[in-house]
Amino acid sequence: MSWRWFHQWGSPRWFYERAGRWQLVCGWLALILLVVGSLWGLGFAPVDYQQGNSYRIIYLHVPVAFLAQAMYAAMAVCAVVLFVWKMKLADVAMQAIAVTGLAFTVLSLVSGAVWGKPTWGTYWVWDARLTSMLILGFLYLGLIGLRAAIQDPDQAGKACGILVLVGVVNLPIIKYSVEWWNTLHQPASLKLTEKPTMPASMWMPLLVNILGYYIAAAYLVLGSMRAIVIGRERRASWVKELVGRA
Amino acid sequence: MIFEPVSLNISQVSCERDDRLLFHNLSFALRSGDILRVAGPNGAGKTTLLRMIAGLFEVQDGVITIDQEPLSERRHQVLYIGHKPQVSRDLTVIDNLKFLTGFDEPVVKQALIDVGLRGYHDSLVKELSQGQGRRCALARLWCSEAPIWILDEPYTALDVTMVETLDRKINAHVAQGGLCLFTTHQLPQSLNFETLELGRVD
Amino acid sequence: MSIEKRMLARELKLAAARPGDIFKPMWFLMLVISMVPLALSPDSVLLADIGSAMIWVATLLALLLNTEHLFQSDFSDGVLEQWLLLFLDRPLAWLVGLKLIVHWLFHVVPLICITPIAGLMLSVPTDVLIALLMTLVVATPALTCFSGLGAALTLGSSRSGILGVLVMMPLFVPVVILAAGVLIRATDGSEILPLMALLGAFSLVAATLVPIAVSAAIRLNIGGSN
Repeated sequence: MSWRWFHQWGSPRWFYERAGRWQLVCGWLALILLVVGSLWGLGFAPVDYQQGNSYRIIYLHVPVAFLAQAMYAAMAVCAVVLFVWKMKLADVAMQAIAVTGLAFTVLSLVSGAVWGKPTWGTYWVWDARLTSMLILGFLYLGLIGLRAAIQDPDQAGKACGILVLVGVVNLPIIKYSVEWWNTLHQPASLKLTEKPTMPASMWMPLLVNILGYYIAAAYLVLGSMRAIVIGRERRASWVKELVGRA
Repeated sequence: MIFEPVSLNISQVSCERDDRLLFHNLSFALRSGDILRVAGPNGAGKTTLLRMIAGLFEVQDGVITIDQEPLSERRHQVLYIGHKPQVSRDLTVIDNLKFLTGFDEPVVKQALIDVGLRGYHDSLVKELSQGQGRRCALARLWCSEAPIWILDEPYTALDVTMVETLDRKINAHVAQGGLCLFTTHQLPQSLNFETLELGRVD
Repeated sequence: MSIEKRMLARELKLAAARPGDIFKPMWFLMLVISMVPLALSPDSVLLADIGSAMIWVATLLALLLNTEHLFQSDFSDGVLEQWLLLFLDRPLAWLVGLKLIVHWLFHVVPLICITPIAGLMLSVPTDVLIALLMTLVVATPALTCFSGLGAALTLGSSRSGILGVLVMMPLFVPVVILAAGVLIRATDGSEILPLMALLGAFSLVAATLVPIAVSAAIRLNIGGSN
């Protein structure tokens, strides 16, 4: 029974129809969570004694940064599924996540810059987390560029799969080495996140936001995947019907 | 040399590339002494089919066997010469052949004489004409111990003499028990071949 | 003739046939290094401060630009696919490794040999220079393998330009940081051996594992080409 469920994922048409519904659910859920979380965090959470009100950017920055990294790991899972089970949908997911992941990375960098200005007086600092995020951005760009350079979609998917797997193995090494590099030059390293001893009234809206952005990412990825599926299956009769109807 | 009888079986092979279905459930069989020309318009998948049989392109659907064993076990029995130059332009003719065939100078030099490149063994490939370069690539046929030959556009840039020489060699090869698949846009005159037509599948 | 002998004989002859590929990176390095004082200042104290790092970056770029077309000519000549067909008794990763070793020996090592001259031009102190050379010798095999991966992934995609370089550069970060750590220790006069050992370990692991990914990429792009 479970194998049949698994194999259904091999069917683009099945996915397209189901994903439409999932997207709707995710969209509403994300909207609610984000509205609640953002209002709570931006308006009602207590003022930080050290950074005043400017710390509130963490309600955007932390979830988005966390997701940018989680999405790279998700792509690695897709690559494994692609190589082991040869499921084309895994490649579609990889393609969708790459672009969304890049967007989240850029958002994380920009929100980091916005945070940096009032906190440290400058828009950019080479601290460990921002630097790692920058390199992650380059990794995403590389994947997107590689996919664009190869014509055949199957070949492009496999090439990106190889790159993702090599990247994911290196990612922890890169992160660790960047942190170490930072301590080489800045003995008293300032961390952009609050210490774990945040009062509940601060980290609860954060949690809500993390969940909200997670589901928002799912919403975006699903939408992107549906668009990619339609594009790849454009010769199939069900697509022609769908387009004809619209 | 005389070859053991060999058979090549292509069974229910399909291929899709760049969102186009090139061929679907293609099946045919060849045995010792057969010569097959794969024909079809440009883009019909001739090169792709040949590369599949050579083992360069993964078979997505269907099975290819040599003497009932999977292709991957019998690759050493296949010689593939593609439509690309097949030789490095910056090396000499003889260095190229020594690399590709693994044989020493005397054997390789004899092969070069057979293809009409006597005296050219120390020339760099980039100094040769396109036809001479092609002869250099084809010289492998004169040193090969593989029974199955797959030749993609072998006649390109060859003059009349070399075309005859090649035809003679292919005929001799299949008479010894080998078999040959090829594509060409110039119909060979002295070969006794069957034709497989690949059309556009929509 | 053994397979290794055939491969090595050919790679050596190719390296000899294309001497430009040996000289051009060295030339590039000297040019970039010359730009630094022009862009910065001729003050030798300032140059000495940043000199070793600049040489590292310039060497990295020279290596990258020289390696990105590593497989291209063999690919377009149709010889690369013959590797898959002729050398059935050897894993492709092994053959790729051989090619990368020869490439490193003939195209990267000469580059490293030029760096002392660059160091002189940027007033880099001798002990830092020695540390620089050591880090380059230890780290460049890994960098060569990674560049080879970039070259293999972009094989056959026309007009990809320097995509192979762009795709690989983020993966160089750990190596660059480790090497920089060694150079800082060398400038301070403290012990560099533990860090060098770490760098060496990373390089060794990369040089062993990355050729596998390179061979997968080559197989993929040969399969996808006509």
